[in-house]
Amino acid sequence: MSHFTKQRILVAMSGGVDSSVAAALLHEAGHEVVGVTMKTFCYEETPGHSKTCCGLDGILDAKRVADRLGIAHYVFDVEEDFTRDVIDDFVHEYAHGRTPNPCVRCNSNTKFRDLMQRGRALGCDGIATGHYVRAVRPEGTEVELHRGADRNKDQAYFLWGLPRELVRRLHFPLGDLTKPEVRELARARGLTTAEKPESQEICFVPLGDYRQLLRDRLPARHGALEPGSIVTRDGTVVGEHTGYAGFTVGQRKGLGGGFPDPFFVLEIRPAEREVVVGPREELFADGMRAGEVSWITSDPPRPGARVEVQIRHRAPAVPGTLQTESGAIQLHFDEPQLSVTPGQSAVIFDGSRLLGGGRIVRALHAAAATAAQ
Amino acid sequence: MEPIYLDHAAATPLRPEARKAMDPWLTGVSGNPQSIHRWGRAARESLEDARERIARTFGATSSEVIFTRGGTESANLAVLGRLEAVRTSPSEPGSGPPLFVYSSIEHSAVREAMAEVEARGARITTLPVSPRGEVDEAELDRLLARRPVLLSVQWVNQETGLILPIDRIAARCREAGVPLHVDGVQAGGRLPIDLAATPIDMLTLSAHKMGGPRGMGALVVREKSHLRPRLFGGGQEQGLRPGTGDVAGAVGFAAACEAMVQGMETEGERLGRLRDLLEDALSAAPVAPRVHGGEGPRAPHILGLGFPSLPRDLLPGALDLAGVGVSAGSACRSGSTAPSPVLTGLYGDAYARTTAPLRISLGWSTTESEVKRAIPIILETLERVRSVGV
Repeated sequence: MSHFTKQRILVAMSGGVDSSVAAALLHEAGHEVVGVTMKTFCYEETPGHSKTCCGLDGILDAKRVADRLGIAHYVFDVEEDFTRDVIDDFVHEYAHGRTPNPCVRCNSNTKFRDLMQRGRALGCDGIATGHYVRAVRPEGTEVELHRGADRNKDQAYFLWGLPRELVRRLHFPLGDLTKPEVRELARARGLTTAEKPESQEICFVPLGDYRQLLRDRLPARHGALEPGSIVTRDGTVVGEHTGYAGFTVGQRKGLGGGFPDPFFVLEIRPAEREVVVGPREELFADGMRAGEVSWITSDPPRPGARVEVQIRHRAPAVPGTLQTESGAIQLHFDEPQLSVTPGQSAVIFDGSRLLGGGRIVRALHAAAATAAQ
Repeated sequence: MEPIYLDHAAATPLRPEARKAMDPWLTGVSGNPQSIHRWGRAARESLEDARERIARTFGATSSEVIFTRGGTESANLAVLGRLEAVRTSPSEPGSGPPLFVYSSIEHSAVREAMAEVEARGARITTLPVSPRGEVDEAELDRLLARRPVLLSVQWVNQETGLILPIDRIAARCREAGVPLHVDGVQAGGRLPIDLAATPIDMLTLSAHKMGGPRGMGALVVREKSHLRPRLFGGGQEQGLRPGTGDVAGAVGFAAACEAMVQGMETEGERLGRLRDLLEDALSAAPVAPRVHGGEGPRAPHILGLGFPSLPRDLLPGALDLAGVGVSAGSACRSGSTAPSPVLTGLYGDAYARTTAPLRISLGWSTTESEVKRAIPIILETLERVRSVGV
């Protein structure tokens, strides 16, 4: 920042170390920082969590950090929006045999939009989070989002669905830092969250048992949780399963006696309640199709463009050729890729720069298409 | 710009009279009132003098005043101590679990204590309060006929300022022989309280809401056999609330009570004028508010407003950033935003869920210039929150 302009910036504080340090850094840079914790759902009914108020620990930690820094802190109740836009979608996707990515969904539909609106009501100019992403502000052009400097922690993958009009108002103070550096900054400031462990699981499935959540929220005896057949591509029944919602494309599925080689989940057919398995070779796809496309940039790549696509968190982006058409992305990989999973995100990059993405609808198989003809 | 504090129902500054009275007890040796030496005697003299003055202020006798560490503790002693007393006394055969009754708009200190006695096996039920602060007398009689072991009703509601008809309720309880606990935390120093004239069995008071020190309160208990203690120790406070006596707290409490009651009438008129100033100005806001409790008698220091269709969690924060300190009501300890049980009780669940509540409360240090400066800030903030349309 060459010319410092003091802004009132809303910082989403989860009560973790990353957002704590993000708030501290902006505060020290001279901005007026307003900390906010979004209450997204209620822990109350969750066994293993003390029966206190909703998500109380995170809220109290965030408050403690905000009070230490001497900044304001408020709690926003977005439970209704979050339940509708994220949890209901999560359940719906599993019910349809897909593997959802609720963090993407939350960033795209709930978190940033709600923060921006409420931020405006509070007179805030900008929004900041503790994501490991860099917001680059070249002179005279639009703000670009790039992968975080810490490639182990980079979270650009999760942000492809951000409403484009928000991007220019976003601040990611941790983009140039590594996780160990962030912890060190937290320790140096005596923040109570400095040694807090990473949260790995989905926030509304704190015990990791998403099937229990599905049982709670789907109608009784929904097909996704009822027994069905495990079949191979040629239709041979090779086993039984206790509900297709327990499967994800690419998952290894040992079948025991008579099938010494491991099988992998190739496809889920909700209408037939079938889980299709096969050898690892059959997991490779030549391309993929994604819907619900969103572009961070106002100048998205055109059909025929060479791009890189990341189809899983933690997977490297791979080169491919883009074909877009009315709201969908069709993309041909240079090299066949493993486990193109419907429901997951396909995120398009140009080098480190995030361009946009979509939700994977299906894998495309050039060979299979040819063979079928 | 100097920020403006308008949240006196949550906490109000220590009155200078209280501070002056406390000062000698915060420096040097402040003896234990139970010690036999001169320091102990001096402490005991001041503690008991404070007790007498508080008793006199509210028409009680000094042996009826049990010092506690605040309003929540007093209310809990009244409710849970009552359950213990009932449990340990021989009950009428076939009478079933004891029944506790409380008004539908009680403070959480009573509401949660009631939930606890229920968890411990008692039955609980609520006495509805109308938006005018009225209690249906037929319903009251019907409940009293079920012979509850305690009826708990607040005198002044903390979110609306509504004044409940304690005189009439007390008379009915007396006729029915049902012990009555009154939460007087927001009424102390605001309304004339004369226990010699009003047959209240237990009265909860908080020092700091009257400009006394934090962590000090009292439960006025007319009949000790109605209660069993919740804490056990050195037998202080007639065994109902043991622990080393807090002389500084007691003398500060007494000084604050006396100051509040002496100036009650003129201060009430002054705050009522300021409240009306705010109420008139804010009623002209772009989103016209409902004045909570506006149809009934109200204490002058609390103005509760409800703004339809605004987000429930934004106004206090937006006003804080604009330099005005208010609250949404009694917040959950996480600062969370569950609908107010008080508003649910008065206006129904749908209203409480769709309305943004704002509680403005005035105190002894509030000035007219503060109120006049706050009005345009509140109006601007309301307009901004409305125009964003969250």
